[in-house]
Amino acid sequence: MLLEKAHIEGIKHYPVYRKEGGYASVEKALKMKPEEIVEEVKVSGLRGRGGAGFPTGMKWSFLAKPEGVPRYLVCNADESEPGTFKDRFLMEFIPHLLIEGMIVSSYALGCNSSYIYIRGEYHWIAEILEEAIQEARDNGWLGDNIQGSGFNCNVYVQRGAGAYICGEETALLESLEGKRGNPRIKPPFPAVKGLWGCPTVVNNVETIAAVVPIINQGGAAYASIGVGKSTGTKLISACGNINKPGVYEIDMTISVEEFIFSDEYCGGIPNGKRLKACIPGGSSVPILPANLLLTTAKGEKRMMNYESLADGGFATGTMMGSGGFIVLDEDQCIVKHTYTLARFYRHESCGQCSPCREGTGWMEKILWNIEQGKGKMSDIDLLWDIQRKIEGNTICPLGDAAAWPVAAAIRHFRDEFEWHVNNPELCTKQNYGLAHYADPVYVPAT
Amino acid sequence: MQEIINKYPAGKQKSALLPVLHLAQEQFNGWLDVPVMDYVAGLLQLDPIEVYEVASFYSMYNLKPVGKFVFEVCQTGPCMLNGSDDIIQYIKSKLQIGVGETTSDGLFTLKTVECLGACGYAPMMQLGKHYREHLTPNKVDEIVEECRKQAALATNGNGYQS
Repeated sequence: MLLEKAHIEGIKHYPVYRKEGGYASVEKALKMKPEEIVEEVKVSGLRGRGGAGFPTGMKWSFLAKPEGVPRYLVCNADESEPGTFKDRFLMEFIPHLLIEGMIVSSYALGCNSSYIYIRGEYHWIAEILEEAIQEARDNGWLGDNIQGSGFNCNVYVQRGAGAYICGEETALLESLEGKRGNPRIKPPFPAVKGLWGCPTVVNNVETIAAVVPIINQGGAAYASIGVGKSTGTKLISACGNINKPGVYEIDMTISVEEFIFSDEYCGGIPNGKRLKACIPGGSSVPILPANLLLTTAKGEKRMMNYESLADGGFATGTMMGSGGFIVLDEDQCIVKHTYTLARFYRHESCGQCSPCREGTGWMEKILWNIEQGKGKMSDIDLLWDIQRKIEGNTICPLGDAAAWPVAAAIRHFRDEFEWHVNNPELCTKQNYGLAHYADPVYVPAT
Repeated sequence: MQEIINKYPAGKQKSALLPVLHLAQEQFNGWLDVPVMDYVAGLLQLDPIEVYEVASFYSMYNLKPVGKFVFEVCQTGPCMLNGSDDIIQYIKSKLQIGVGETTSDGLFTLKTVECLGACGYAPMMQLGKHYREHLTPNKVDEIVEECRKQAALATNGNGYQS
């Protein structure tokens, strides 16, 4: 629905995009009342695709509308969660889809100036978006009195400068105001007091792009795809130890097993190796060992949707998150992998809240010691203690995001940590391997 | 400059700080010296401290001189799973520099960075405006060669001095 046309030659540019039915949703939307569009998005069941999965229509309906105060739509294109590279693909190959979604969403929310905040490293993609915006403006889809409707709208691109924290919506707004990316205390929420103190909606790239098919087909048609509260399609960026890394658009009815092992998606694990573990929703969501990944604790097949991935809570389940799907084969070391994630979060902590600023550094150092064969058994409990004291005790969710991967690694792979402590020399030369927690005789069905 | 400031409502020119610092860094040899930051502060009618605190927060701004070509190699989880440690080691031994160091000819700087959103195309690095993906030792050799050629061309053609 989002990427089906991304491979058509020339779709990056306006003439081909328009010929393929592009900007039809703007034509349709401009004949509707803004509140009718919000209603369609509500009916569609669309949930925020950045990671939190909050219903988009509801988020839109929270937007305050005081008289005489401008409102802003900000697109969060600061894609930085390790394992996630789906928005990049969409913006690089079918940029007009995002611009089209921005125009429809801006009209629905009554925004005349909208911003796309893109991570600074995606420099060339920012240029692709600027070009698409220029083409849209040249063809009367942006600027004053769009298509004779009386609606004025401009879309601007702003590059960040290297800070994961700016993916958090209030840090993003601070950054867009030219400041350090320190998250704000909520409330007030951006819907009331956001960019330059004005009511603001911040949505992920994929969320805004999904508004296009919702308006074209209607919210009910969109809601009929998928299952339960996981409506529509989801972009999954798959990486790690798989044969076919890349971005896949799935309807959320396939199983995790099919996603990993079928040739249509990841194509299995290279060199005939076995599956050890997987982080299905970007680095901050809990890692699961193979057995719990493929089958829930209740013994049901685990599916690629919000509910099934979360089945069992954090004890035996995980989260859909941003759709950054990281696969680890039998040769990977859980301690080392967790260490790289802890280092990431230490590097990206903005330093505002003590538990996160100090705790992320402690976790990194302790994990490094264990990985290097210099750990003590009490270090494992200390790690557990630190992550518990970070979680929920910070202004923004970066603290949680740093705590969860460490917690899940200890929860499911404690024996591998203990093996490192008990085998200080061996652990620097070889990996623990599959051991007993993954199903050693697992054979894919396909 | 004015084009950037025009993106924001009147009086909100501070929002232009990040884009203007990107521009300044491109113009002034790839890093932000204090006089450059002071100049930016003047342009945007900000106190110098407002510029320093931003420049020191974001990892893309260099506060020390860097080489003409900066290799920014990702080392986070997904890249690590695909051998980024070996690539970093290879670059170190090939260029005879450590992480954060610049070659004596001033051409190359090696930086390790955290996730750049290219996990499916790992291992990878950023070089200037673009990403170089699916890195192998051979590919690193080619990139180094390409940079050296480009530097030589600049020296002969435009009088570029490293």
